[in-house]
Amino acid sequence: MDFELPAEDHPRRKPIRDWFESNPRPTPRQLAEAGFIVPHWPRPWGLEADAELQLIIDQEMKRAGAFLPRNPVAINNCAQSLLSHGTEAQRQRFLGPALSGEETWCMLFSEPSGGSDLSNLRTLARREGDHYVVRGHKIWTSLAHKAKVGVLVARTAPDLPKHKGLSQFLVDMDTPGIRIRPIIDMSGHENEYNEVFLEDVRIPADRLLGKEGEGWLLSTTQLQTERVALSRPGAIWGHGPSARELVEGLAEIGALDDGALRDEAADVYIEGEILRLLAYRSLSDRMNACTPGPEGAIHKMLAAPHGQRVVELAKRAQGPRGMIAGEKPFPTQLEHGDDPYSDWDYAFWFSPAVTLGVGTQEILKNVVAERMLGLPRELDPTAQLPWSEARRKAS
Amino acid sequence: MDFSLNEDNLLLRESARTFLEKEISLARLQVPGATVTDAGYAANWSKIVGLGWQGLVIDEAYDGLGLSCIELAMILGEMGRTLAPSPFLGTLFGTWALQKGGSDEQKKTILPGVAAGTTKLALAVAESSGTADGPCREARAHRHGGGYRLTGAKSFVIDGAAADWLVVAAHDDAAGRREFFLVDAGQAGVQADLLAWRDVTREVCDLRLKDAEGERLALQDDELWPWLRDRILFALATESAAGTQRVLEMTTDYAKERVAFGKPIGGYQAIKHSLADMLGRAECSTVGVLYAAWALSEEHPRASLAAAMAKAFACEAYVAAAHRSIQIFGAIGFTWEMVNHLYYKRARANAELFGSPRTQRARVIEMVEKKAA
Repeated sequence: MDFELPAEDHPRRKPIRDWFESNPRPTPRQLAEAGFIVPHWPRPWGLEADAELQLIIDQEMKRAGAFLPRNPVAINNCAQSLLSHGTEAQRQRFLGPALSGEETWCMLFSEPSGGSDLSNLRTLARREGDHYVVRGHKIWTSLAHKAKVGVLVARTAPDLPKHKGLSQFLVDMDTPGIRIRPIIDMSGHENEYNEVFLEDVRIPADRLLGKEGEGWLLSTTQLQTERVALSRPGAIWGHGPSARELVEGLAEIGALDDGALRDEAADVYIEGEILRLLAYRSLSDRMNACTPGPEGAIHKMLAAPHGQRVVELAKRAQGPRGMIAGEKPFPTQLEHGDDPYSDWDYAFWFSPAVTLGVGTQEILKNVVAERMLGLPRELDPTAQLPWSEARRKAS
Repeated sequence: MDFSLNEDNLLLRESARTFLEKEISLARLQVPGATVTDAGYAANWSKIVGLGWQGLVIDEAYDGLGLSCIELAMILGEMGRTLAPSPFLGTLFGTWALQKGGSDEQKKTILPGVAAGTTKLALAVAESSGTADGPCREARAHRHGGGYRLTGAKSFVIDGAAADWLVVAAHDDAAGRREFFLVDAGQAGVQADLLAWRDVTREVCDLRLKDAEGERLALQDDELWPWLRDRILFALATESAAGTQRVLEMTTDYAKERVAFGKPIGGYQAIKHSLADMLGRAECSTVGVLYAAWALSEEHPRASLAAAMAKAFACEAYVAAAHRSIQIFGAIGFTWEMVNHLYYKRARANAELFGSPRTQRARVIEMVEKKAA
């Protein structure tokens, strides 16, 4: 056991640091071509990196002031499905621009009728010759208004049980019939989420990802990797300020004199440090090829409310001044590139989202209790029925 | 960089678990009215001595095994898991004090006997207020001939009544500060009184000293105590993290078996969510403790921080889990004949000894401020 991160003079650092020295202001495309966006992927997209090398690349990017392009849906969730289930033509068409961030992706998953019960979705895709024709309504679609590519999950077989009749498609977001309406959330910030209306949207059949009926498998895998990808120390989905940055910043300006605030700052700091260790241990377990412990799956359950506590404490340390839009707890600038959550005020007002998105906290606790502790599964009386029949009974 | 336990660590833990599950029984404590005198201290100790665990952290030069805090965590965790009543912890604290602070002569005299299992130790450092961080107001030492004589009181001495030798913190009148002294527990001027300690799996006592002969340890308080405190906090955190895991398992098993309204209570979300939270906090405690074990074994600059964080987090999580477990077991969990209360009492006692979680958090913030300044 050795909790030391790779040392400054670690031999594996040298080639990475050399690369950044010869490419001092790399474009996202250069980063992608060097394999630094998804180092754990196979070549030519990645470097087949183990956890240690991933960590080194992360640190060296940060040192060089280089950041991942803001294309989380592709990079963290969906693009890897093209490796496992895509066609060669799909990989050649989509992966390059996805990893370089030239084409932003979005996930067309949740619907107004339910988010947690995803497999009950109602958007239908009907095969017509060499196209699928899609009708439906999606909601909570992050970045849809900026996206070129949508990963759509829709029902291709309404007469099969709910989990079995779903398929995934790679949709051009400028296809006729797609209408996007922004959702202004309580932060009042430029919108993150959108509603997406699909009216007779024609998708070429070669944009089917995997086979018909594999939609549920692909979607759950993509959501699962998001939970792993989120295991960075930032308060909002792993981004933005960390507990360490907050408490060290407050200590620096001498803001921790109040006894109650001081105690809570310590508590949040400790929780943050321990969650960081937990994330490192998952990395190590993967590196040692042990089965990852439960911490991979429980990390989001712990990290989301922790993040809320971090931004809450930052607000409380400011007193009434914290209620002024745009105020921050101390003048020190955080170095997080163009990460929008490094704005303290926005991070706070956005933070209710972190226990809602990618599985509500309640659903996550069910998952942890059922999968990790083996407690009895929730019964879904509609799981085995043909979806169309369950739908009729419900209405 | 490798944050996982290695093969040898896991093997050591496994063998400790197999041994303790077979040998340690809490049955006699589950009888209403049982006290710590029913805990089987002496019998458990002779079994433990048979395995040589008391020599784990003693240097090889003094016949010990010279292992690190990581290996110790494997054993101590299992002791915490089973609540194994025995003078192990007191002897460990005394061993640490002597090994770090004693002169070569003192170590040669005492430690081989500890390693052989013939000598038990205890550390007497706390005041009656519970604080152990000095200054010492209730026990004094004055020079007498070539040595010292100690008079006064010490409180909350773990395994003090069973100990053959004591390491005692007292105010050194001549030096004008607190120092540590090696005291023979068998002499007339030393009396240990068992406290009616609620955690009946552990002997805790008050100590009365009257002109007791003592020999000063070589290392001074300001060098010895911070080092010792880190390890004591780590030890209590290690027991607590493993105890939390045990409480989680026991409560999860019960929630799968106990049926209400036609299904196991573990099928209800109120119970599921409670146990999911417990699992999350148990995992955090475990990793916090392992980090502290590593940092201490490396004498890492963050070792004190790591030990304080582990104590604060693991003790608080243990108290919450043990309390929650009584609720999930329902009314039966509140009876003396169940083990739930034994875990709850151990959790509470561990939390309060050597500085509560709140005290540790205050220390953590001081360390962060020092770094920021």
